Parts: sequence; structure tokens; C-alpha cells
Amino acid sequence: MTQPIARESFLPLMAFLIPIVFGAISLLLRKSYPRLHAWLALTGLGLTAIVSFRIFSMVTHGWTLTMWGGNLYVDGLSALMLVLSGVIGFLVVIYSMPFIPTRLLDVRNSSRRLSTYYGQLLIFLGMMNWTCSTNNIVMLYLSLELTTLATAFLVIFYQKRASIEAGYKYLMLVTVGILCALMGIALIYAAAAGLPKTQTMGLNLLLISDLAKTASKMAPSLVLLANAFLIAGFGTKAGLVPFHAWLPDAHAEAPEPVSALLSGIVIKVGAYALARTITIFSPGYNAIVIFVAIIASASMLFGILMALVQDDLKRMLAYSSVSQIGYIVEGLGLGTYLGIYGGLFHLINHTLIKALLFLSVGAIVYTAGTRKISELGGLGRRAPKTAACFFVGALAIGGLPPFGAFMSKLTLFIAAADRGLMWAAVIAVFTGLLTVACFVRAAYRIFWGELAPNREIVLDGVGEVPKRMWGAMAVIAVLVLFLGVYPRAAYPLLDSATRCILNVLGGPAWAGR
Amino acid sequence: MGPSLSGAVVTLMVIHLLASMVVAEMKNLRSAVWALVIQSLTLCCVILLFGWGEPWMIAWFACGLATKVFFLPWLFFRTMRILPQREENPMVGTWVSFAVVVVSVLIIYQLLHTYLATLVPTASAAAEPTRSSLAMAFTVFVLGLYVCIVRRDMIKVIIGILLLENGAHLALISLVPARPETAMIGILTNVVLSAWVLLYFGQVTYRVIGTTDTLKLSELRR
Repeated sequence: MTQPIARESFLPLMAFLIPIVFGAISLLLRKSYPRLHAWLALTGLGLTAIVSFRIFSMVTHGWTLTMWGGNLYVDGLSALMLVLSGVIGFLVVIYSMPFIPTRLLDVRNSSRRLSTYYGQLLIFLGMMNWTCSTNNIVMLYLSLELTTLATAFLVIFYQKRASIEAGYKYLMLVTVGILCALMGIALIYAAAAGLPKTQTMGLNLLLISDLAKTASKMAPSLVLLANAFLIAGFGTKAGLVPFHAWLPDAHAEAPEPVSALLSGIVIKVGAYALARTITIFSPGYNAIVIFVAIIASASMLFGILMALVQDDLKRMLAYSSVSQIGYIVEGLGLGTYLGIYGGLFHLINHTLIKALLFLSVGAIVYTAGTRKISELGGLGRRAPKTAACFFVGALAIGGLPPFGAFMSKLTLFIAAADRGLMWAAVIAVFTGLLTVACFVRAAYRIFWGELAPNREIVLDGVGEVPKRMWGAMAVIAVLVLFLGVYPRAAYPLLDSATRCILNVLGGPAWAGR
Repeated sequence: MGPSLSGAVVTLMVIHLLASMVVAEMKNLRSAVWALVIQSLTLCCVILLFGWGEPWMIAWFACGLATKVFFLPWLFFRTMRILPQREENPMVGTWVSFAVVVVSVLIIYQLLHTYLATLVPTASAAAEPTRSSLAMAFTVFVLGLYVCIVRRDMIKVIIGILLLENGAHLALISLVPARPETAMIGILTNVVLSAWVLLYFGQVTYRVIGTTDTLKLSELRR
């Protein structure tokens, strides 16, 4: 397997420093002109997106970007996450520009609230980029914790009872989870540090890439215990069952653009952390593969069954995210090229699709004033662009052709069966069918269903959302469709990312096993 | 580690465990925070003893003292000026909870101490005081989880989170006392910021909802 060529570059540093600096400026200018914060965010994220695409270009041409003696390390997997966060973050800010001010119409200090919103959003995206650029296992933990803190302020943005409850629950549960990951990190580090000096000479035991070289020599009991803690810890962040309790409430009570980020990016960071850590050990421990497959399958099934019974659109989407993250983690946990490729492809698809769906729900709330399915109907005539975007998302998330999720799910089904986990493949297929039923039913009910007579008066005069909102949604819808019609477009980045993980799996540590 | 240092570590471990149990069971929140101060102080002293003479361990000791023993308790006391001083009855009754804590601690400690060599097959883990210290670390970690699950009061839950952190740090110093990276991990993974934000959320919750009882946070269950 050919190794990428490492080169020193300041681009990884810029990828997380730019949004953090712009976020800090926005937070400091709390009392200034309200629109300034949105334009600061747009500028900051625009620059970050340019850096991300430059990184993407270099990585797909065979480079690995490093800095600070390998503490920052951007390979294909990191580049994939950076590009996703850059694109989605930028579009979410465009969407937020008309949306958020309407949520603050009866709030006195709206400039301060806008400063908090855009400032925390930028800081969250900066921390997320740091998580995806770091090769240091302690910095991975630290940056994950900081993303949690930044997003917690966004979850409680509306400062209402329900959002404060959701924000507290989110912060408390994810902090407990991340502390379990800390115990796992301490055990992994101890397992490596306990090896003879001849086996660890020249290695920095805090770097994930160096820890991978010693993985096969670590004490098995310690490795299994550490992995259990890591799966519990990072799994909480990813929203895997049974660690998902924070997810539905946080997604439902946060502003809709924030929900798009929570589902599109925050939980993917948890999956990314799992991909970086447990894949170091899975080649030598079939128990880890089975354990991950069980948790992933449980997430798939539980998530979609709960989504089916929801009347609240955002809670339905949130539970669907619990289900879909199961697909991603299962693929990553299989440890084969097909599994990892399918998992990462589904990561991209789900990020785009779920962002589209949440933004569409935001448009529904903007236009109709409610997110309850039972109170909606016939919106297709009043808001055709929103209807089209939601339908694209609904069909895509169900895994129907010609959308990208069809290809990613099919890849995962085949990968699971190929690995001998037929039961997991059957559960994944069954979940896919339930997902189609859930979303098509909801979409039909909202946009074509009969409206209750008392709601006709309330929704009279309701129309389409502003251009910036449906424009952002349309761009994502086009990307969703494009990846389905031309999945090969994602191949260079996905192949690079998959090979990064496989280089670890098949590298010197596991040679001959 | 010499016998005198080893003896000192074991003594500190006993105080650490007793303080952890007091932290878990004390209903007066101010008293619970004082017990946490003692618990954190014993942890800092154990760090110093395990890494005796090493400059990086002195740095971790100083950082731990500044954050766990001074700053965080100060934050708690400042927050509790406007919050109820006494926590609501936990989900498990007081005497039952006390019995559960005592029995669990004894069982977990004994099990870990007996089978630690299988779980952590390193030469250092098999010898004292590392063996007792490591068993203690996991016991305190489990105690922290118990507090987070069973206690209703937000402040108590945040204290439980600090118990989790202290358990993880104790495991870290017990397993790898002789490397500078250990101190770096310990210093950087302090949950000061998370605890600060959680306390802020506690204040906001009390201001908006009028309670810190998590069982009364039921808006989302409807």
C-alpha cells in the first residue's frame, strides 16, 4: 500500500485558527451593528472553505500535511471532514441571515444574541476543524470537549425552558461520555508506555499515528477495556444507542440551522474520533468488530422505530440521525475497504441530506409557525421550493436511487455480508425500508395532505421563504442529487480517506496477523 | 517507590476514598464541596508522591492545586450563593444510597485489587501502592457515575463529573508515573471549563425555571 508523502504546511493551522479568530471578534463586538456578525461569519467561513478546498486538492494529489512535529496531521480522512464542515458551515450562515433575526423579533438585546450565535458557531467550526486536524490523542479529547461547550451555547440560544433543559442535558451527558473516553485514552497511553523501551524508541506516545505502530504489542485485556471506554465516550458524542439520550432534545430545541450542524457535523466528529481510535485495534480484535456492529445495528433499528412515532418533525429527524449514524459506524467498524468506503460515503451523504432536511424544517417553521406534522398539510402549494427540497431529502435519506445514499447504503450492505455479518446486513436493509416509509409518509402529509379546518385560517397567506434560505437549501439539494448521479466525483477524496485508515489497519503494527 | 512514600500513598488513598464517599452522600452542598476539596487535595498529593522529584509532576501538582482545590470550589461557592444549599432527596433513599455506596465500593475495590494483574498485566501494576491506587481509581470513577445517574440536583451531578475526572487522573498517574507526557495529559484534561459552563447553565436554569432539581426538568418529557 503506497504511503502519502508528508510535507510541512501551515494550512492545517489556518483551517482552525481563522474561524476561531473571527468568532472571537464577533463575541467581542457584542453591542455593534447586528448585521456585522453575519458578515463576519460569512467572511470567516468563506476563507476557511477556501483553505479546506486547498487542503483537499493537495491531499488528493498524494500529500499529507503536517505541522508541529506531526501534532497536526491532515490526511484524506481529515480533508474530507474539513471540506464538509467548510461547505455546510458556509451554507448554514447564509441560511441564518434571514432566519435568525426573525427568531429575535421580541428580544431586547438582539445584537448581543446575534453576536453569541455567530461567535459560538464560528468557534464551534474552528474547534471541529482542530479535532479533524490533530494527530495528538489528548488534543483530540480537548477539542471534542470544546466543540461540546461551543454547541451547548447554541442549543440554549432561544433561552426558553425547553431549550435550557435540552442544553443542560446535552452538556452533562456528553461531558460524562467524554470523560469515559478520557479513561480509555489514559489506558491506551498506559498500555503503550508499559512496553519495553526498545519497542517505543523514537515514538511519541501521544500521537495517534505512533500509537498505531505499537497497537499489536499492547496487552489485550487493557486494549479491550480501553476500547470499551472509547466506544462509550466517543459513541456518546456520535449519538449511538444507548448513549444517545441527549440527541433528540438538543436537535429539537436548537435553532434549525444549529440542528443542521448538530446532525450534519457534531455527531460526525464523534464518528471521526471513533474512526481514528478504534480502527487502530480492530484488525487484531474481532470482538471489537462484533461489538461495534451490535451497537451500530441497535442504533439503526432503535432510531428509525422512534422516528416513526414522532409528531414533531425535528425529533423525527433527530431519531433518524441516531439511526443513520449506525450505518456510518458499522461501515467504519468492519475494517474492510468496502466497509470503510461505504461508511465514509454515507457520512458525506448523511451530512448533506440531514442538513437539507433540517433547513427545510426551518423553512416550514418560518412559513407555517409549527413543526408538528399533525398541524401541517397542503404546504406544497404555498411553498413549492421548500416542498421540493424536503422531498429530495426524504427520498435521499431513504436510500432511493438516483441519490447518493442509495450507493452508500448498498456498499454497506455488501460490505457487511462480505465480512460474514449477514444479520447486520439484514438489519441495515430493514432499517432502510422503514426510513423510506417514515420520511415519504411525513413529506406527503406535510406538503400534500389535508389540512385541519382550524389550521386553514392560520396558514392563510403563508408563502415561500426568502431567497437566501431556499437558495442555501437548493445548493445542498443539488449536491445531494449530484453525488447520486455522479458518485465518482467523491471517489478521489473517499479513496484517499479510506486508504488512510487502511494504512493503519494493514500497516507494520499488524503485518503478518 | 520507597516504603515511607508507599505508606504515605496508601494513607492518602484511604482519605481519598472516604472523602469520595462523603462527597457522594452529603446532602448539604457546601459540605459536599468541602469534601471534594479534601478529595482533590489528596489526589494532588498522590500525584506529587508518585512523581516524586520530577519537575513535570510538580507542575501537574501545582496545576491541580490551583484548579481542583482552589478555583473550582470557589466557582461552586460563588454559584451556590443564589442556589438552594441542600439537594433534593436522591432517586434512591438516603440510607439505601449510603448502603449501596459502601457495599459497591467494598466489592469493586476488592474485585479490582484481586484481578488487577489480569486486567493490567504490567509489572508496576502488580506491586503496591500502584495496585491499591489503581483499584481506588476505578472505584472513584464508578462512584462518580453513580452520583451522575442517581442524584437529582444539578450541582451534585457536576460534582459527580469531577469525581469521574479525578478517577481518570488517578488511574493515569498510577499506571504511568514516570513520563512527562503523563503530566501533560493531566494538566490539559482538566474539566475546569466544562464545570464552569455547567455551573453557568445551572444558574440560568434556576433563573428561568426556578429549580436545580433535574427531575423537575420535564418540559421535554411531555
